[in-house]
Amino acid sequence: MSALVGVVRGYCTAVTAFNHLLARLAALVMFVVVPVILFEVVSRYFFDAPTNWAMESATLVFGPYFLTAGPWLLHIHGHVNIDILHKSVGRRLQLVFDAFGQLVIMGFSWVLIELSWPLAVNSWELGETSFSSWNPEIWWTKFFLPGALALLFLQAVAEFLRAAIQLCGGDDPMNGAGRPRAGVA
Amino acid sequence: MTGIASEGVLIWMFAGLVGLMLTGLPLAFVLGGLAILFTVLLWDPAALTITVLQIFDTMRSDSLMSIPLYVMMASVLQRSGIIESLYKAMELWFNRLPGGLAIGTVIICTIMAAMTGIVGAAVAAMGILALPSMLKRGYDQRLALGTICAGGTLGILIPPSVVTIVYAVTAQVSIGQMFIGGIIPGLLLAGLYVAYIIIRSLIDPSIAPRDPSPVAWGARIRSLRALILPFLIIIGVLGSIYAGIATPTEAAAVGVAGAVISAAVERRLSLAMLSGAGMDTIKVTAMILWITMGAKAFVAIFTGTGGADFLLEFIRDLDANRWLVLAAMMGVLVFLGLFLDEIGIILLCVPVFLPVIQLLDFDPLWFGILFMVSAQTAYISPPFGYTLFYLKGTLPPDIGMGTVYRGIIPFVLLQLVGLGLCAAFPELVLWLPKLMVAG
Amino acid sequence: AGAGTFAAPHVARAAGQPVKWRMQALWDANTTPMKFEQLFADRVKELTGGGFEIQTFTAGQLVPANQAFDAVRAGAFQMMKTFDGYEAGKIPAFAFTSTVPFGFPESDQYEAWFYEKGGLDMAREAYGKAGLMYIAPTVYGQEPIHSKVKISSIEEFQGKKGRFVGLASSVMGAMGVAVTPLPTAEVYSALEKGVIDIADRGDLTANLQAGLAEVAKFIILPGVHQPTTATSYVANKAAYEALPAEYKAVLAVAARETSAALRQHIVVQDVASLAKYREAGVEIVELDPADIRANRPKAEAQWRVATKDDALATRILDSQVGFMKELGLLG
Ligand code: NA
Ligand code: NA
Repeated sequence: MSALVGVVRGYCTAVTAFNHLLARLAALVMFVVVPVILFEVVSRYFFDAPTNWAMESATLVFGPYFLTAGPWLLHIHGHVNIDILHKSVGRRLQLVFDAFGQLVIMGFSWVLIELSWPLAVNSWELGETSFSSWNPEIWWTKFFLPGALALLFLQAVAEFLRAAIQLCGGDDPMNGAGRPRAGVA
Repeated sequence: MTGIASEGVLIWMFAGLVGLMLTGLPLAFVLGGLAILFTVLLWDPAALTITVLQIFDTMRSDSLMSIPLYVMMASVLQRSGIIESLYKAMELWFNRLPGGLAIGTVIICTIMAAMTGIVGAAVAAMGILALPSMLKRGYDQRLALGTICAGGTLGILIPPSVVTIVYAVTAQVSIGQMFIGGIIPGLLLAGLYVAYIIIRSLIDPSIAPRDPSPVAWGARIRSLRALILPFLIIIGVLGSIYAGIATPTEAAAVGVAGAVISAAVERRLSLAMLSGAGMDTIKVTAMILWITMGAKAFVAIFTGTGGADFLLEFIRDLDANRWLVLAAMMGVLVFLGLFLDEIGIILLCVPVFLPVIQLLDFDPLWFGILFMVSAQTAYISPPFGYTLFYLKGTLPPDIGMGTVYRGIIPFVLLQLVGLGLCAAFPELVLWLPKLMVAG
Repeated sequence: AGAGTFAAPHVARAAGQPVKWRMQALWDANTTPMKFEQLFADRVKELTGGGFEIQTFTAGQLVPANQAFDAVRAGAFQMMKTFDGYEAGKIPAFAFTSTVPFGFPESDQYEAWFYEKGGLDMAREAYGKAGLMYIAPTVYGQEPIHSKVKISSIEEFQGKKGRFVGLASSVMGAMGVAVTPLPTAEVYSALEKGVIDIADRGDLTANLQAGLAEVAKFIILPGVHQPTTATSYVANKAAYEALPAEYKAVLAVAARETSAALRQHIVVQDVASLAKYREAGVEIVELDPADIRANRPKAEAQWRVATKDDALATRILDSQVGFMKELGLLG
């Protein structure tokens, strides 16, 4: 039994740590995007030389940026919910709600992975470009959707296991890590 | 498609939304999950791909790009203590004014509204900027939240505004006229908020603590220094938009640069601070964009299964006094605003409403602004107002959704007053556009 | 539901039930072309004695217009009215079946390429690979260039900051325009504030309604970036194959009728809109056809690049260039 708990603990910790790492890396994207946009503004206004790549590259990385952080947000309760009923019911019912919610998220991810994967592959096979004057390859951005959803699925499994184990009377396998704050600043 | 009637679709989707939300499932997955469920049940599993295509489209949105930029600007300003100094200055100057800091917040919101065209960007930025400083000074949570949420949503009316552009394009009215028409109603609403804050603070001084002890004028003058940096950033952002240097999205990046330079001037720039701001930014942006993904899918499925058809038929066939018809249209807008996002509502309703408006000989520009005011009301009306959720995403975990709801209700009522005023006195809307055309 | 929907028509017809299709269009609500999509649907219903009903959806109602391709492929709805250029990043042939910058100056020439020069078959070939059935194009004339400065010759485009999309952005770039990619929604503000000097957006009437006369005091005609345009009726192949032969014929007939009807309507509407532009103080500048012809080879070089050496795209381009030579448009 304790071996099983160990495996679950290892899984939850590993998935969460990986998703946290990805979110931290994705956060760095804005530190590139801001200078790129400023470059475009200066280049266009002061040198009459707009680029065809600056704003397009910024929008190109926008999707991957927010998708990548989604799974980690699930762990830190950063996806906004209505906590009115949740707050006022007992601990067991809270856990039931949590476990149910993670099952919904797993189903949601699964369906969308199945639907988005073929579209991403098709885009890759055709070498999809943006058809602008810069015309960069854009197929790779589409893989971030099934990718982020797969990681969301794994994170939902981890969160489900945590709720289920507590429902069965066990301790939170991620105990000690504390519940990080979802708020900012 | 199965034979389920439009009323049935509406009732089931609404019930599903409320039911799932109450379990505490995050909104993004409530919307996305229901979109999937109802596609399979009421449409055709083949239509599920719509959900994915809506996401691909959201991933490449030019205008939503301003959300991370404004959030980052706000976070850098907050973390570098610049906002705290600004509130200290306001405290010194407004110490005799009831609700002075809340009024100051409304003013900052109005300025933010002129900077960004995206509702989520302003509300999230204001949640980060204004809330900690107000709570620290003992302001009532509900008053602070309501002020920020309502003020942050003013950006729909005050140009630039993406929702207004979508309306103008759909209704075939001039974007410029719509922008100008929104200015006075926007300021009118800001004025109503201020009046409400003053009256509430006079009735119950505990919600907005004041320190009526005299403040030396020297201290007041010295505190003005705190205004310099925020003022320069505002000039930089608004100046680059209005001088044609940058588009509104690009101007948001100018705001970030301004915030970072300001932090450096204050000697508060550090890697740790920037890294913290980067994490704030991705958290809030991902929160808003995952909701957006779910919302777009939900609206598409709602439209595809004909959820609003019977309401729209009702309006189309309504044979009544023109003012009753107008009131019915506003009612439908606010009702749909209970659970749909505004762009979806525009795409659904405007094509049906516009011929009716023309038939009844109402001014389409005036109607457009009424539409925007009711859209703004929908954005902040419980239980399902998008800006309420965006704001909640920036709050510390000990403030629950219930507090946000209770905080916003007075402001929703103020919105209805504002809507009534604009309906009763069309000149409030039309005077400025007429002036511009004449001039 | 599902595959059953597509197999249904025969059975349904026997039972006296009409065939019901959904069509996602690329137009905003209340626009002239969108009204013609409704006329198309009405005509199909009329010609089939009420047996075939097409429900139309405006841009973004089911999916954003530029995502309709994959939605029809998947069978989310049975047909779309689309602009092939949206998918030209995937299938290079679509660059030439939608609009060719500096291409055919007359709608009739472009439509003739489809119906008389094998264009229809080549468009079908391009869509066929994706499991889609190209029904027919709707071909209409130029869209204008709005400008804050007077531009009287192609040479004067040199150094102007302009907003163009798709192949037009490369071709106008080759004419010396510093192209900046802006979303459609930002065109009005960008012109107003002077972020850009020139822009394309939509047709004359739509742009008038959006207020471009307030912010750009010159209109350059013909809009060389988009001298003629073809939008397309495209159906899901399985859904199409399940239709009775006469319904297929009705789709083709109604599509060709709509093409002429919309084009002629635009001809009339353009005159009225141009008068309103003049009233609003906008100057209309006409470019010299000889000047355009002289610069067409520069555009042709960009067309070549856009084929990405794809066999079908090259075949289509060669066919169009051949026809242009016959017409004396290219040397
Ligand atoms: Na605004
Ligand atoms: Na609402």
